[in-house]
Amino acid sequence: MEDKEEANNEPLDLVRLCIDEMVVVKLRGDRELKGRLHAYDSHCNLVLGDAEETIYVADDEDEDEPSRVRTITKKLEMLFVRGDSVVLIAPHAPIVH
Amino acid sequence: MSFFGFDATLPKDGGHAANAPGFGQTPDAFAGLGGGALDDGDAIDFEETYDGLGDRLDETDDAFNDDTFGSGPATQQAVGRDFDFAGQTSKIADTMHEEQMLYQARQAPPKRQPPIPQASKPARTGYESYHNPEYIPQLEARADIWGLKPKQNDAPLRQPEPVAPAPAAPVAARKMMSLDEVEAMMRSHTMQESFAPGPAQPFQLPAMQQQQELAYNQPQYPGTPPQYAPQILQRPQQQAHPGARQTQQHQQQQPQVHVELPGHSVQAQPSHAPTILQRPRSNQSDPHSQPRQAAQQQANQRPSSQPRQILQNPNRLSGHGQPIAQQGQRGPLPGHNRGPSFPGMVITHPEQLLHLSEEERVAFLEEDAKRAKRNHKIAMLSKDNGLMTPQDKNFITRIQLQQLMAATGNLEDQGSEAALAEDFYFQVFSQIRGAPRQTPHQPANQFAQTYLFQNNGRFGQGRRQGRGGDNHMQRMEQQVQRAVEAAKAKPKSKQLVIEGSLGKISFSNSKTPRPLLNIKRGDTGDKPQTKPHKSSIADRKEALRNIEKVYIILMHLEDHERALPPPINENSDPEEIQRHMEWRSKVEALHKKLWEGIKIMEPINPHASSPHPFIAMLSHGKGKKAIPRIFRHIDDQERLTVVTMIVVHLDNLAVVSHALASPDEPMSAAMREEVALFSQTVMPPLFGLISESPLSNVVGLVGLVLARTNLHVVARSQIGMSLLTILISRAELLKESTPDINIVDWEHWTEQYNQLFNSVEPVLPLLFPGSVNDTDDMYVWQFLAAMGVGASPEQQQRLVIGVKDRVMETVTVSKVLPPEMASARLANVNLFMRAIGLDVELLG
Repeated sequence: MEDKEEANNEPLDLVRLCIDEMVVVKLRGDRELKGRLHAYDSHCNLVLGDAEETIYVADDEDEDEPSRVRTITKKLEMLFVRGDSVVLIAPHAPIVH
Repeated sequence: MSFFGFDATLPKDGGHAANAPGFGQTPDAFAGLGGGALDDGDAIDFEETYDGLGDRLDETDDAFNDDTFGSGPATQQAVGRDFDFAGQTSKIADTMHEEQMLYQARQAPPKRQPPIPQASKPARTGYESYHNPEYIPQLEARADIWGLKPKQNDAPLRQPEPVAPAPAAPVAARKMMSLDEVEAMMRSHTMQESFAPGPAQPFQLPAMQQQQELAYNQPQYPGTPPQYAPQILQRPQQQAHPGARQTQQHQQQQPQVHVELPGHSVQAQPSHAPTILQRPRSNQSDPHSQPRQAAQQQANQRPSSQPRQILQNPNRLSGHGQPIAQQGQRGPLPGHNRGPSFPGMVITHPEQLLHLSEEERVAFLEEDAKRAKRNHKIAMLSKDNGLMTPQDKNFITRIQLQQLMAATGNLEDQGSEAALAEDFYFQVFSQIRGAPRQTPHQPANQFAQTYLFQNNGRFGQGRRQGRGGDNHMQRMEQQVQRAVEAAKAKPKSKQLVIEGSLGKISFSNSKTPRPLLNIKRGDTGDKPQTKPHKSSIADRKEALRNIEKVYIILMHLEDHERALPPPINENSDPEEIQRHMEWRSKVEALHKKLWEGIKIMEPINPHASSPHPFIAMLSHGKGKKAIPRIFRHIDDQERLTVVTMIVVHLDNLAVVSHALASPDEPMSAAMREEVALFSQTVMPPLFGLISESPLSNVVGLVGLVLARTNLHVVARSQIGMSLLTILISRAELLKESTPDINIVDWEHWTEQYNQLFNSVEPVLPLLFPGSVNDTDDMYVWQFLAAMGVGASPEQQQRLVIGVKDRVMETVTVSKVLPPEMASARLANVNLFMRAIGLDVELLG
């Protein structure tokens, strides 16, 4: 159904290892997602569960002050991420044993 | 001598002047007369010349003159009529006109049969007969009356009726006969139609012919005659339809005008124009085979006009709008020419049929029958129109496609595979959640059961969606796609290497996108076996890889299970048996692979820095989830091995070692989840196995726990406690259910139990993970109860002492709790109390 024996000979197989694990996904537009990777495909379309989205917003209204970065976070139970905005997928820091 | 037979000798010899050179000079007749009247006394007196014949006229019956000659206004037309021999003929002129229009209506194509293309045909053959002198007078007379009308429309239209123009005398006689008949008809039909249509035809034709002949012959005469004839011919037309010039008429008229205007100068023209007009008939008027040809011709022409006739006939087709539309199409022609009586055309049509010649009638009837048959067919075909909705049609299409797939043989098998490959998760989902579906691709039932275990409630009822709607179309599309795929055997390889080229061409499609990177790896193997130092990240990755491999094998196995060939019996043919054998051997191979994949047989190294690979797998959620699936494929011995492995490493399990909670230090949410997942996935198979295992196994497992694990850790974790509860309760159940229990084993068990009790006793107060307000302590009470059942009275007392405080606290707390919660908590406590022969009530 899915792959053949050689489960580890292409980059996305590393993503496969993260299935059902917590991952950090960096997106275009200064966004980050953290969540459990439920599914992915060759386009890096992702389905994340229990996702937390972090948006970094630079407040540069006042030119005098150095721009401050504000973050907005959202919690989403289930999320589909379109692959064209994915910049990076990384396993979330494993639970420290 | 007098040229005109007059008396050449005039009274005053004022006749032939000397200066007048015979006949060479045009005599001025009027000048002579005028001069004579004025100058000569012996001029011719009218009274003298009058013979008095007029006095002898019988004028008694003059009142009926109108009947005889027809009563028309004193117009040019009326004048023209005087040349006629019968007033009826003039009436017939109208009838003829009517008939002509009718014919035109019936036979639309004439328009499109411009005579020009046929011009090349030998026009002469048909006309030889016209040179017969007998005809000329007759023709002349009629031509004067209505000649032009035939000319404008009939020449092309009249084609089917060349019967009439036949030159031979007998034919002419027949013509006349038909006229008589027509008159008789006329009388009978005068009520509805003022004119009998039938008789017009025979008359019309001669007229037309005559006209043509005139025109044809005229050129031979110099001067006015050519001009004159067309003029005459045209006259009626102009009067009959003043201002009503249909395009068709116009077109056909054009040549005539031509003739008319330049008549004096152009000699050839007059003959040319009529030729054009008569051309269509020229090829028909072959004297030898006229009647037959006529019939044929009609038969040939009818079909072209049939569609319209069909449309026109309200009896045949239900389309009411069509006749009207059709009329409109040709509207101007009939409308103008026939006046208000025209609309009756369709109705009178059958009557007209009566007047056709025998052959025509037969031909027509034949055509009519054909038409009727066709219309009937159409009606039959269209009677059920609109019965099916588009959805019905989709459904039928789907069924047909299914049959198509089935008909193409072994595609069927591939079909089910393809269905799964196409949308595996939906298939599973619909198997678990959806209504039982009777599709040929329905996977085996156990298939659904396999995945039923996987639902840990997260994707609960709320997510159930009615996908039935699009399902339909979706499946159809899938089938179409499959059919298409099957049709074109798609290339197996994903790459094409063209000879002589340096690169590969990768085919890409939605299923297998073109790999952008194609890095060849060395054959060193997937997993780097020789890791000098194992960092925790490498371990983690290794564990994840192992899990993935296990899943792949599992999927292969489950996939293979679905391909189970039909059951065999003694009568099965060898091929079937062979397939079965192959299937089984493959199952064996996969099973072996799975067993290797779970790494359970890796040597246990108690001093290794990293946990056993199998246990490492269990530290991941998906590893836990794999256990029930693995259990389905392994035999009991292997299951026991798995349980043993888990038990041996109980304190190494993340869910045990990292799940030690205390009231001060509660578990993290993530760990809580892990523990919950473990109890939902791994514990049931373990419980299932242990609850069926003999006492010896239980003794062995407890022994391993005691020997190989840190019992304090195990006993303080929910998982460890649950496992111990299962083991102890199994032993107790065995003792109670089987009185003749193996004494040796029982003694072993007692030994083990005592050891266990002693180990656990110190941590009894620490067993509870949370404060008394933490409600999730049922498993602790269960453990205590299990311990209490098998405990000796002395051990029971020690147990009570160990947890006395907790019992009292719980009872106290439950007093201030709402009744439901209080009873739940007290029930938990009572579970333990009853096990040691007490009751919460006693604590009152």
